Amino acid sequence: MNPKSSTSKIKTIIMHEYLTKVKTKGFIIATILGPLLLLAVIFVPILVTMLGADSTERKIAIVDYTEKLGKDIVNSDTSKYFLTNYTPETLRKEVLNGKLDGYLVIPKDFLKRGKADVYTMGGGGIGFLNTLESNVREVARKERLREAGVDISVIKLVEEGVNINTQKITKEGTEKDYAEAYAVVGYVFGFIIYTLMLLYGSFVSRGVIEEKANRIIEVIASSARPFEIMMGKVIGIGAVGLTQVLFWVILSGILLYLIAPMLGGMVSDPELLKSQMMNQNQNMMMPTSFEIPSISPWIFIAFIFYFLSGYFLYATLFAAVGSAVDQESDAQQLQFPIMIPIIIPILLVGYVISNPESTISIVLSLFPLFTPILMMVRVAATPVPLWQIIASIVLMLGSFYGCVWMAARIYRVGILMYGKKPNLKDLFKWVRQAG
Amino acid sequence: MDILKVNSIVKRFGDFEAVSKVSFSVGQGTVFGLLGPNGAGKTTTIRMMTNILKPDEGEVSLFGEKVGSLQQNRIGYLPEERGLYKKIKVIDQLIYFGQLKGMTRSDSQLEARKWLKKLDAETWETKKIQELSKGMQQKVQFITTILHNPDLLILDEPFSGFDPINTEIIKKIISDLKTEGKTIILSTHIMEQVEQLCDSICLIDKGKMILSGMVREIKKNYGRDTIIMEWDGDDSFLNEFSNIKYINRSNNRAEFRITDGLKPMELLNKASQKNNIYKFELAEPSLNEIFIDVVTKQGVDNES
Repeated sequence: MNPKSSTSKIKTIIMHEYLTKVKTKGFIIATILGPLLLLAVIFVPILVTMLGADSTERKIAIVDYTEKLGKDIVNSDTSKYFLTNYTPETLRKEVLNGKLDGYLVIPKDFLKRGKADVYTMGGGGIGFLNTLESNVREVARKERLREAGVDISVIKLVEEGVNINTQKITKEGTEKDYAEAYAVVGYVFGFIIYTLMLLYGSFVSRGVIEEKANRIIEVIASSARPFEIMMGKVIGIGAVGLTQVLFWVILSGILLYLIAPMLGGMVSDPELLKSQMMNQNQNMMMPTSFEIPSISPWIFIAFIFYFLSGYFLYATLFAAVGSAVDQESDAQQLQFPIMIPIIIPILLVGYVISNPESTISIVLSLFPLFTPILMMVRVAATPVPLWQIIASIVLMLGSFYGCVWMAARIYRVGILMYGKKPNLKDLFKWVRQAG
Repeated sequence: MDILKVNSIVKRFGDFEAVSKVSFSVGQGTVFGLLGPNGAGKTTTIRMMTNILKPDEGEVSLFGEKVGSLQQNRIGYLPEERGLYKKIKVIDQLIYFGQLKGMTRSDSQLEARKWLKKLDAETWETKKIQELSKGMQQKVQFITTILHNPDLLILDEPFSGFDPINTEIIKKIISDLKTEGKTIILSTHIMEQVEQLCDSICLIDKGKMILSGMVREIKKNYGRDTIIMEWDGDDSFLNEFSNIKYINRSNNRAEFRITDGLKPMELLNKASQKNNIYKFELAEPSLNEIFIDVVTKQGVDNES
């Protein structure tokens, strides 16, 4: 027999871990559906506010006792509003019969008291109410100004909307800055890293526990060194994660460069924009035009690096914890200390996004346990100085080395230890004892 | 030629010394029994032979070299507590374990198919382990141990979980492997199997070696102090002797050891006065008896 070197053993373990995981239905479904879900999370609210502001045809009758405002309100959307002389009692019946969606009663003293009532069958959503309210409000404001003797030109001036466009200064000149959009990108990437670290970390610990609980580990340990077994598993499962991430990156690249222009074009359609502006007039909640900013390939590269380094850092710790327990239900208590530093940065993301260049943000993002999420957020949200990026890379690699060293020592002892449920103190004892 | 040499190995876990100064050697083509009560340190000893654990003191050498990663490929180890991946197909597991022992993928597949066929298990190839019965799983496990054609087999309770028919099949394979010149280390509590299969043994208790040597010599040294007799009639004659230690006793049959200089002939004379004796055999003690004897004595020695 031709004895093989140990590098080929770790390769065997990596391939085994990779192939068994990649072939599962769960992985294939998650890989394909993941981006769709994410797209849904990002775009559905936009599309809904955009298209669904008040897209359903509604007929609203207006009973105008002021005999002034009704006409202007009808003019704001003739397809929706019409003036009527019927009494509210008749209109009520019409609504109940379904011939009418509702009716608005404007009392005589409306301009003074500013109160009117709309009667509907209920429902209709916030979009409907907002539109109606802003239509009426606009007309009323114009009328009040006119009554106060303000010149028409002044009224026009008042109605001009205000819109601040952010401009980013670069060496090439100025370009449109999408600070808000980049903040969203940062948040999304940070959140993906968070999810993947937890998900793949728990795959590692579950895999280790499975081998220990089913007593497979004894046979494997008689074939390869514990370090090879642990790292083979960590790398193999990491490769599964990388496959998934690469698939997503390529897919989102395709989406961004092919489909986004179409979407963007749709959103900046002038007609839609107009209705949008009318819907929102006073409290501008949406930018007047929606364009998808281009995401630099560097952000994707950073994403892959911070995902991988974060995964490896935590996966080795998850492996160590997995090796220490006999069954999965015992693992939770020991996993808690590992999960906390994964969760904390998610709570800090909001702060870091709004102050990406503050000292606190810099320090937090350089703390290795937080780096994967917080540095990712910063890289996406703001131009991070090169030295900070290099520092984060060096610190990540150094901590990874440290974690592997510690985890390997725990793993070596843990996989053969059955019976008692160890606590954190025991794990540190194992680290010191392992020779 | 001795292919395995265990040279006064010591293993401590904290303050507890699990194995203390155990030494033995195993010749090529022989079956060696590693015996001892539960918790005696057998598994720890085996783990040091398979390079899972490193001894704190002493050394294990295999095929003339200190045991290490390379030697591992030549060992087939069947642990007492065993298991397989529940959700992976039989053939894929076998290929994986073969590869872990340094085989190429194609060789591993070839050997796996060969053994599955030999054990009448070809139809399980694409089944997942969780779909197999316990006995079938044991067969697959046994194949993982011998798939890579190891020169040294370490089998810890190899027959547990097998029905009598499959036990015979496995025994046959073990003796075939021995004929081929493979060396086998057997660890079991079932002494009849040791008597049937082992050439030499080593008995450890509380981490210490308390008995070792060739099975035949150990039994010979113990002397013929065991009497097996069968008779017709009354068994009350036995009650007249106080220095008898029964192994088992029924109305017409008794197996016992005599102590304190009781003469076998004296006993036979007494018995034949009232009864019709049709079997009287002076035998060597069974290994089972020796095992119990040595281990209990050891316990007494330790306490005094």
